[in-house]
Amino acid sequence: MFHWLEKNPFFFAVGVFLVIAFAGLIEILPNFAEASRPVVGLKPYTVLELAGKEVYKKDNCIACHSQLIRPFKSETDRYGQYSLSGEYAYDRPFLWGSKRTGPDLHRVGNYRSTDWHENHMWDPKSVVPQSIMPAYKHMFTNLADIDTAYAEALTVKKVFNTPYDAPNGTKLGTLDEGRAGALEEAKAIAADMKNQEVKDAVAAGKIPEIVALIAYLNRLK
Amino acid sequence: MNGLMIKALAFAAVLIIATVAVVNTMHIDLNDPVNMITMFGAVAIAFITTGVAVKYINQMKTDKSTGELVGERWDGIGEYRNELPSGWAFSFLGTIVWALWYFLAGYPLNAYSQIGEYNEETKAYNTKFEAAHANADAATLIAMGESVFLVQCAPCHGETGDGMSGKAQNFVNRISKDQVLAVIKNGSNQLGYAMGAMPPMLAQGADAETIATYVAGGMQGTAPAAFATCVACHGADGKGNNGTAPNIAAYDNTLISKVLVNGKKGAIGAMPSFKTRLTPVQEKAVAAYIQTIKG
Repeated sequence: MFHWLEKNPFFFAVGVFLVIAFAGLIEILPNFAEASRPVVGLKPYTVLELAGKEVYKKDNCIACHSQLIRPFKSETDRYGQYSLSGEYAYDRPFLWGSKRTGPDLHRVGNYRSTDWHENHMWDPKSVVPQSIMPAYKHMFTNLADIDTAYAEALTVKKVFNTPYDAPNGTKLGTLDEGRAGALEEAKAIAADMKNQEVKDAVAAGKIPEIVALIAYLNRLK
Repeated sequence: MNGLMIKALAFAAVLIIATVAVVNTMHIDLNDPVNMITMFGAVAIAFITTGVAVKYINQMKTDKSTGELVGERWDGIGEYRNELPSGWAFSFLGTIVWALWYFLAGYPLNAYSQIGEYNEETKAYNTKFEAAHANADAATLIAMGESVFLVQCAPCHGETGDGMSGKAQNFVNRISKDQVLAVIKNGSNQLGYAMGAMPPMLAQGADAETIATYVAGGMQGTAPAAFATCVACHGADGKGNNGTAPNIAAYDNTLISKVLVNGKKGAIGAMPSFKTRLTPVQEKAVAAYIQTIKG
């Protein structure tokens, strides 16, 4: 039967492709399916956290900070439990980064608090004297883009079936509900902050970038 | 014995002589069994190589091609429909058996795991650490506590433990007046002491002020009358009745360990729990170090 294949190079090539593709499929697909499955208890990002993630991307935090703790004792001592692939299931895109000029941030929410972030983003040297990180004072006045964050959440809900509005999950709702939810979350964070302008802005229904960013950083656990 | 055999034996002899010459020039000790076995191996390879070569060269000289040709010819080269040589067939079957073993047992049972290596490394280190510091003396604990403090605590409490101008608890003093007032006003139930929750508003107005001034001042002199409210739980000396309530007079091991485990949210801000981030020995070390911080 194989003499027939030898005489027909096109079908021979198809056969070779099928054999190799089969090996590839059984190697790649199971890992792919496992990696894209969220870890138990993982919830999608809230609108405010997504807005904070946008700030993180916009101000290029990824250039100096990674979000990937490798399974080495030296790393887990400093940053906590090593990262699992399922923890990034709702990250679109994930922000692993590959540069650690500053520390890893994948579990920064476990060991830093709202007030620390506030001090640190205003003036990093005030809390870490040796820090070479620049200050990000503009985040205290620029407003976070809540509507875009809502659009992003709604897109992943519709396109990728990200489980928003699931029981005990993250609530998304309509645009107005999304805005209201973000503001409510922002108020809880502003209550722990000291900067009066930020507090006033949130009380007036505006959400500065710093509030969204802190919501995002506190979520990283 | 034909000419080919003589040439082959001569070639084998050359190979063996070359091997012996190398062994001599490198001063290899043939009394070592491993070297001896290797030497025998080299000699055997020389004979087998020449033997196999002679067999096939003779075959090429004398054999006639027989069998049925397949239909197609590639640039004039034909192909016989011969059986697969039995050696190939058995090797092929052998690889199938090996593949089944590797797929079902070989890989799953012997695969390298990065997490496995991490777990082993961590376990070995922790055992060593616990053994080395099970009965650490005070000086060791304080030194260890300082290094832990600089990594884990200093980002918020400052490298000297002064709380960096009110950004976090100042370890130079036990407690500030504002903090006492905030706890009296809001109550507290965060640290898991046996005494349980402290209800809000146990003292009010001027009484609260007097208590706060007294406690923040380091509990010097005679206790004001209002302090009687606090004595029931915190003790007349403020030391918390041997760990049933928080010590408000000074830092002690129980207090620091409870804050590290439970975290805390107070008048200044929130402190996260360090439950999984520090080992029991490190907790003790941090407690020992914090008690050495003085203004």
